[in-house]
Amino acid sequence: MQKKCVIGDRCPLLWVLIVLFLTVHSVMGNAESKFLKFELAVFQHQISGVVSDKDGIPISGVHIQVKGTSQGTFSNSEGAFAIVAAPSDVLTFSYIGFKTLEKVVGNAESLTVVMQPDIIDLGEVTVNAGYYTVSERERTGNISSINAVDIEKQPVNNPLGAMQGYMSGVNIVQNSGVPGGGYDIQIRGRNFINGGTEPLYIVDGVPYGSQSLGASELSAAINQGDISPLNAINPTDIESIEVLKDADATAIYGSRGANGVVLITTKKGKSGVTRIDVNLSSSLGRVSHFLDLMDTDQYLEIRREGIVNDGFGERLDDPQYASRYPELLMWDQDRYTDWQKELIGGTAYRNIGQLSISGGSDNTQFLLSGAVQNETTVFPGDPKYGKVSVHSNINHRSNNDRFGLQMTVNYTKEHNQMPRTDLTRAAYRLAPNAPELYDDDGQLNWENNSWDNPLASLLEEYDARINTLIANVGVSYKLLSSLTARVNFGYNTYQLDSYKLLPNTARNPRFGFTPQGYSSITTNESNRDSWIVEPQLQWQKEWGDFGVDILLGSTFQKQTTEQLVVKGTGFPNNGLIYNLAAASQVQIRDASDSEYNYQAFFGRLNLTFKERYILNITGRRDGSSRFGPDRQYGNFVAIGGAWLFSEEPFLRDGRLLSFGKLRGSYGTTGSDNIGDYQFLDTYNVTGDNYNGVLVLEPSGIFNPLFGWEVNKKLELALELGFFNDRVLFNTAWYRNRSSNQLIGVPLAATTGFNSLTGNFDATVENTGLEIDFRTMNIRNKDFQWKTTFNITVPKNKLVEFPDLENSAFASRYIIGEPLTITRLYNALGVDPQTGMYTFEDYNNDGEITSLEDRQWIEDLAPKFYGGLGNTFTYKNLSLDIFFQFKSQKNYNHFRTRSAPGLIDNNTPRVLDRWQEVGDVTTHMMATSGANYSLVPSRSYQSLSNAAISDATFLRLRNVSLSYRLPMDYAGKWDVNLYLQGQNLWTWTQFEGPDPEQFSLLFLPPLRQITLGAQIGF
Amino acid sequence: MKIYNINTIILSKRKCSFLFTIILFALFQMSVVSCSDFVEVEPPKNTLVSQTVFEDASTVESALANLYEMLRGQGIGTYSLSADMGIYSDELDYFLADPNDLSIYIHNILPINESVSKYWVNAYRVIYSANAIVEGVESSEGLTSVEKSEFMGQALFVRAYVHSILVGIYGDIPYITTTDYRINNSVARLPGHEVYYHIITDLMMAVDMLGTTDATGEKVIPNRHVANALLSRIYLYTGNWEQANATATQLIDAFILEPELEKVFLKGSRETIWQLMPEGVDRKNAPEANLFVILAIPGQQYALTETLLKAFEEGDLRREEWVGSFTSNDGATTLQFPYKYKATLSETESLEYSIVFRLAEQYLIRAEARAHMGNLTGARQDLDTIRQRAGLDGTSAMDKETLLEAIQAERFTELFAENGHRWFDLKRSGKAGEVLSTIKPNWKPTHVVWPIPENELEINPNLRPQNEGY
Repeated sequence: MQKKCVIGDRCPLLWVLIVLFLTVHSVMGNAESKFLKFELAVFQHQISGVVSDKDGIPISGVHIQVKGTSQGTFSNSEGAFAIVAAPSDVLTFSYIGFKTLEKVVGNAESLTVVMQPDIIDLGEVTVNAGYYTVSERERTGNISSINAVDIEKQPVNNPLGAMQGYMSGVNIVQNSGVPGGGYDIQIRGRNFINGGTEPLYIVDGVPYGSQSLGASELSAAINQGDISPLNAINPTDIESIEVLKDADATAIYGSRGANGVVLITTKKGKSGVTRIDVNLSSSLGRVSHFLDLMDTDQYLEIRREGIVNDGFGERLDDPQYASRYPELLMWDQDRYTDWQKELIGGTAYRNIGQLSISGGSDNTQFLLSGAVQNETTVFPGDPKYGKVSVHSNINHRSNNDRFGLQMTVNYTKEHNQMPRTDLTRAAYRLAPNAPELYDDDGQLNWENNSWDNPLASLLEEYDARINTLIANVGVSYKLLSSLTARVNFGYNTYQLDSYKLLPNTARNPRFGFTPQGYSSITTNESNRDSWIVEPQLQWQKEWGDFGVDILLGSTFQKQTTEQLVVKGTGFPNNGLIYNLAAASQVQIRDASDSEYNYQAFFGRLNLTFKERYILNITGRRDGSSRFGPDRQYGNFVAIGGAWLFSEEPFLRDGRLLSFGKLRGSYGTTGSDNIGDYQFLDTYNVTGDNYNGVLVLEPSGIFNPLFGWEVNKKLELALELGFFNDRVLFNTAWYRNRSSNQLIGVPLAATTGFNSLTGNFDATVENTGLEIDFRTMNIRNKDFQWKTTFNITVPKNKLVEFPDLENSAFASRYIIGEPLTITRLYNALGVDPQTGMYTFEDYNNDGEITSLEDRQWIEDLAPKFYGGLGNTFTYKNLSLDIFFQFKSQKNYNHFRTRSAPGLIDNNTPRVLDRWQEVGDVTTHMMATSGANYSLVPSRSYQSLSNAAISDATFLRLRNVSLSYRLPMDYAGKWDVNLYLQGQNLWTWTQFEGPDPEQFSLLFLPPLRQITLGAQIGF
Repeated sequence: MKIYNINTIILSKRKCSFLFTIILFALFQMSVVSCSDFVEVEPPKNTLVSQTVFEDASTVESALANLYEMLRGQGIGTYSLSADMGIYSDELDYFLADPNDLSIYIHNILPINESVSKYWVNAYRVIYSANAIVEGVESSEGLTSVEKSEFMGQALFVRAYVHSILVGIYGDIPYITTTDYRINNSVARLPGHEVYYHIITDLMMAVDMLGTTDATGEKVIPNRHVANALLSRIYLYTGNWEQANATATQLIDAFILEPELEKVFLKGSRETIWQLMPEGVDRKNAPEANLFVILAIPGQQYALTETLLKAFEEGDLRREEWVGSFTSNDGATTLQFPYKYKATLSETESLEYSIVFRLAEQYLIRAEARAHMGNLTGARQDLDTIRQRAGLDGTSAMDKETLLEAIQAERFTELFAENGHRWFDLKRSGKAGEVLSTIKPNWKPTHVVWPIPENELEINPNLRPQNEGY
């Protein structure tokens, strides 16, 4: 333990030296070739010509450019153009909907150019697989991707938001509609009984910690403590997002690939004229669905009825109980406020301005982009979220093509200013006759101390400033024509600086709080730094029909995380509350400092034969500091193969089938996602003291013996293309089995703790079928119609769990059933005699008991989900319509408030309640909650199958209409106007806030409409 | 600094698969410099490995401070118990709508009630930490035998004290004496009398190990007197009159009853045997005043019941000194509240700590023990000591039965709203039903114990069956 790893810190130094050497070497080579080029670039002359499609119809507006220069022009309405160029120059012809074409000028004075429609050519489309790229055609693994075109259509703040519904096998749910909040993501289901589902995120080659560093003490009530670091990545700076799903694609990430890998690649500079793009947009957002709640008369009627039913009717005339029933004894009985309108009924604005400059020569390209974003939310007051981001990229290649350098830097500043508490809870719950928010003087109204004014939360500021830097430098050098050495350096820092205020003025005056005694500020200063160095060697060779591609590399990564949460209490006055130094007492609530080191060797062996038989072997040997001595290393290997049967001679001439591939993979990945230092038996400093002595508390029950979780993935897939790949049909079947589960095994409280981390011999299986369908339905000169469709049918199953019946999980899981099940009572409705809910007595013992009678099983995971998109293009007008669908179940109002008459507003459905013998109703008799005999009825109901409703939905997730101004108006300017809508319409039977969110505590995702313009010149 | 090449790594990790051998061989060709202990990290700077904690007296004191900090913060023996047992018995009325509190007040506690699990979970967390100290100190090589005995004595006392609260609330419970989770995770419950046997054994050891000095002068760290104070209480609860009498006598000889009522709950009170020091940042004073003192109506949480107010005799100074009163602005409602502790949050001076044991209880313990032993004169003397301080005449009770009743009545008015005394007295005297059935319509005889938290029965089936009636 005491050994200090000296050399670990120096390893990168060696690589710096190697890179320096290579740089010097290539610059020398570069200078020579520049000289050569200068000699050739002479004798320019004018070339004219015509551009047409393959049917001879001229195309206007084609951009024609001398490659590597800023010289360019457009074709006119007859398709004609003229440009000055030298014989050695290359002209590029580009136009939307057609493949970009290059022509060498030579001695020709006129050119006839025929452009080919840009249909999907699988051989040319490459996908990023992390350490290597692979063509769509020859890919052996399962990789889903979404590119800039689809991301830009969606007015979202977080890259995960743009992925929702677009990818098969990827289930994403937004946690909150408040800016700065996070998302839950599951790639091919839940693998681990107690572990998370977070995949590994790699941004431009740099592993990116996605875990929130928010302290729940500060932000639990506004965004569930989940401040997503992914918000720092500006969606419009993203070129593509790839999700690696099967063993073939993920095993090269070894111990961190079990939950899949998300690769985010930012935009790169492109050679050509220096281009300036300006993008301006404004969005309006509103809550998409308000709940149907009771009005004042209805609410007070059942409240009163409940109190009488409970046997406390006389209290309704006793002022001593005014504080227990203020809505009946103190407040105006006729007052009505629509609290949803008042508290979450506002409009959220978002303005984004982005400016980018890009360009470069064949050898060197650059991109510099800056964006400013301001956003508000639907709450009253002045909560706002601001983001400034800078994205830059430089690529360089030496003339001899041996040396390559690319550098990407992303820097983002976020500033989130929100109330401490999400007002949504109050909006759904407040009594409809609750008093005015402000009194006549404009001060918070406490209505004679009878309520907690929800707007007090606005005085309790929550403020977070986040700085994120992701930098990446990649250097490559071609040692031989077949051998390339490459080193990637990455650095990532994430800084969160936040505070929460609790001024005494935000609390009910009845407590008698003063700034001296009560006012407090809590601050959270956290940062996470990580660097990574990955030297790699790639060898590619072809001998006739046989091709070999070998990649070898290693990884050194170090990550340090620090967090300091400090609370200052007692201020001379609230004006000094921001100054911790003015606090009369300062207390350290949390101070943590952890280090994570990770080292690996990885490799890939790819063999192709006759371009139709492909074998791909990937593997990684991994070491992680999260495990105890001698348990740090693990090996992960995968094998994948593909057979392009459409290339077989007997099928090659098939007119119908243009592409056919059968592929499969099998391999292992792992997970070390358990937090640092868990193998040590330690005492923590809590920051408290007793009698002047610092407090040391045991940090938990330790287990020095745990190791990797193992995830074995099997996949079989069939990919077909018909009619020249105008119809593409991909289908994949997978089976992932996770064992050696690292479980926080729940412990009885008598052990002193509630869980123990250890490997457990249980197996969880995820199987599923994913279907992706892409068609080009109509394609002619002016009109195009494309359709994409994906659907995933997942199934999760607990396969093995030794001695489940006697374990702590006995009441939660059943072998053969999914992990997502919940056990419930079987509700049999309201008994017309007693007015109480009745339930099935499974063991017929005459009593309803939790252990024996919660036998009804419901699965809350989606049965299937997917998306359907249609893109229509007519001349310069483009319309995208994207639907997302999911079949699932979720909790309804019985879960939260199952009886009529309880405090807090509720759906008017509860008015259908039992009142006298013989009533046949859906709800039990009203109760204010104070009657003992009525408690089991309502609490069992909330744990019964009646509390579950179908929450299947079909959502118009995105509509995007864009219009590109014709040349005649815009001249050389490239102007694109767009109107986008997100979360526009939802069909569902579910009555809660959102079919993906049953909780009544947090703001559901908003409906957003965006108007914007993109101008390029 | 060591430089390893890949070859040594291959040799040291022989389990490499064939594929990896190939890959590693190739990397060897690249002459990659590596470092085999790159993935070993030093322990985090802000934690201590437990072995080192027990090699030094100051860090053991820090581990012990954790016990008192937990007891202080959770109030499992003090303010929290005062409030919950106050509304469960006939001391306090409850006015707010928190479902957990409300169900305690109206006696409809379910096994899923959060307060039910709160006491259980928090108490066993403290017990684990106490056991970790017992084990760590036992095997320590860096502590002197004096230090060992002092630290072990404190930890054993805390273990006994927390179990004594649990057995009072839940009845039959497991008695935990190890940190081994394999044993504790499947432990079974012991009958109440066996739990008391273990408590007494631990306390007798603690009494032997602890000294009588009070190093801090503020009586905030348990010493031999504190262990004795609990021991005499447990002897009383278990009917060991002789020992109760003898142990209480030791304390009565060692402490002075504070003559003035208004000083009894100040931090410098001479009759205090053990008190918990507030944390000093958010709270400079004991949390009790804040919990009970009514500053506004409506908005009040607790108020004293009619039953309790009627129990005070005419001229009882405690009715004046220890009971506060508040009238709503409209004058319609006046309520009385416990005013033993007076320093609320707005008080910036440090005046009051949470008192766990005080001498008045020991007088009443001895009075009761003596009455049972037949020493009625001695019993009357002890009872009258308490009555006289409250400005009352000597008791009129002459025979054993009426004297015992008078002692119970005195305990009600002397120890009201303090650490659940009233409820535990009602329970052990068997009068809970008689007293509570009139004011708690939901009363059932099975309510003398709370249910075991439902979740715990699911995790550890050996704790089953659930307490009767739940």
